[in-house]
Amino acid sequence: MKKDALLIRLLRTNISKAQLTGYVVANVIGLAVILTGVLFYSDCTTTSTETDDRFMANDYVIVSKNIDGIAFAPVAFSENEIADIARQPWARKVGRFSSSQFGMRASASLGGRGLSTYMFCESVPDEFFDIKPARWNFDPQHPFIPIIISKDYLSLYNFGFAMPQGLPKLSEDVIGSIPIDVTLTGQNGLSATFEAAIVGFSSRLNTIAVPQSFIDWANNRFAPGSTTENAWSSRLIVKTDPLLTSQMQEYFSTRDIEIAGDREADSRIAGLMRTVAIAVTANGAIICALAFFILTLSIYLLLQKNENMLRNVIRLGYQPNKVSRIYERLVARINCGVGAIALTASLAARSLWLPALHSAGLGGGNIWTAIGATAAFIALSSAQNTMLIRRRISALSS
Amino acid sequence: MIKKITSQALLPRIFRGMEAGDSLKQSQVWLRPDFTLERGCRVCIAAESGSGKSSLLSFINGWRSDYDGRILFDGRDISLLNAADWSRLRTFHLSLLPQELCLFPSLTARENIQLKNALTNHKSTQQITTMLERLGIADKADTPVARMSVGQQQRVAIIRALCQPFDFIFLDEPVSHLDERNNREAATMITEEAAASGAGIISTSVGHNLLLPESTTIRL
Repeated sequence: MKKDALLIRLLRTNISKAQLTGYVVANVIGLAVILTGVLFYSDCTTTSTETDDRFMANDYVIVSKNIDGIAFAPVAFSENEIADIARQPWARKVGRFSSSQFGMRASASLGGRGLSTYMFCESVPDEFFDIKPARWNFDPQHPFIPIIISKDYLSLYNFGFAMPQGLPKLSEDVIGSIPIDVTLTGQNGLSATFEAAIVGFSSRLNTIAVPQSFIDWANNRFAPGSTTENAWSSRLIVKTDPLLTSQMQEYFSTRDIEIAGDREADSRIAGLMRTVAIAVTANGAIICALAFFILTLSIYLLLQKNENMLRNVIRLGYQPNKVSRIYERLVARINCGVGAIALTASLAARSLWLPALHSAGLGGGNIWTAIGATAAFIALSSAQNTMLIRRRISALSS
Repeated sequence: MIKKITSQALLPRIFRGMEAGDSLKQSQVWLRPDFTLERGCRVCIAAESGSGKSSLLSFINGWRSDYDGRILFDGRDISLLNAADWSRLRTFHLSLLPQELCLFPSLTARENIQLKNALTNHKSTQQITTMLERLGIADKADTPVARMSVGQQQRVAIIRALCQPFDFIFLDEPVSHLDERNNREAATMITEEAAASGAGIISTSVGHNLLLPESTTIRL
């Protein structure tokens, strides 16, 4: 490198510090705005804990067909309808609810008083759960039924049922420690009792959920032959794009499909916040594009001003590649510097909004997205600059 | 190593349509079916201004390609050479002192020479200093070339041309601004260097010849 010091000094003749400073300043601002937008979007769409997916990260809806009057025939989605939903731009993933096709009775002892109730259970594929309890599996050899219930049920019990009945109010931890006996009775007369426990509370699924493997096994054993398509598709859980909520709602309302719960307000705020984040990112991209244009122009002017000198260096015997590399290293260093400053600035900005988002249960965004965006910027910008430099210098050597 | 440079029916494109003229008919180079420069030759190409001396050297050194006909290095057509080939040839096989010198005005005399020597490592710092002394510009070694006279610049360019191994050295009016003493010293240095490796010397002139002993004069 020392050997090339003279060549480097010569080739840096005519570099305009003012132009380079302009590029660095403009690009730092542009990239910092982009990264801030990326981080903000990521924080607004990711919860800070594993169990809470309220507000903006609420990307799931549960849908079922409207029932008029009393319906005895199965009310279910056909395969075509499910496929059509999956094809919609707002639908990211569709899961089917599987329900129990046998009788279920649960009993437990609370404060010395026995409690017994008929019940049902459902399941969806594991990827749709907002929580993943440690004991979430079912092994027929050692049968134990883990149950997840809606957080709303616990509230209903504590504040709607336990108080007027004089029963104790229970926390999530206490509920989990209560042993429950579940007796399954099939239409084929088969009956068996299993140990069960509530292992978690979901704010996403408004049902009594058990592992898919248990439903499959129990339906097969206690209601053989009854696992029809209709039973599998009466309710669907759909992971949606919150930015397209209005399209989704219009789709379902025109098809007489009901969306469980009222999440419209959340979705609107979520949509607004995300639109803001996208607008910020887009502005940053425009600033970056302009800054990029400044650098391209600077390189072009520099190479033009140094044209005779570059030609003479090549005629001395220096390889065009070696000459190009000196300029390529320069722009790569500048772009790395721009990336580092902009990333630092955007992470500093993130620390300003993070406490507020944490208090709303959000702010679990991944900074690797921003680091990835920075790396992509450095790579793309340097690659384009390199191409320009090589093309110009190669033209001088021919 | 290049042993032989041959031109076949070579003609600068700018001379197209002038083939019937006396000057081209009498030329020993242009349009000749087989003009050859052998390694070890001592050639002075004498001609009037505008007859294509600089063009000939530019063609042979790959600076320009606006010619008809062919130029061959040991039978290989130079139009087939790529940028890397030319870099290698200009570093180790062909040395050219162009008429316009092509020095870098912002660099000092020594830096201009070092820029070439850094590629080849052909001369030591002491040898470069000795050459500067022999041509009487040692005191200008650290002066930017922009502040030197044309004669001084010519001497810097001569030393730079010698800071590489070569099979042929081409000198385009190398002593046009030199006095006789410096002309003789430059000729001696170039001859010594060429003789050491058996290289050929091709010099051009419009009347102020490099004082090479036993050189053949060719009419362009």
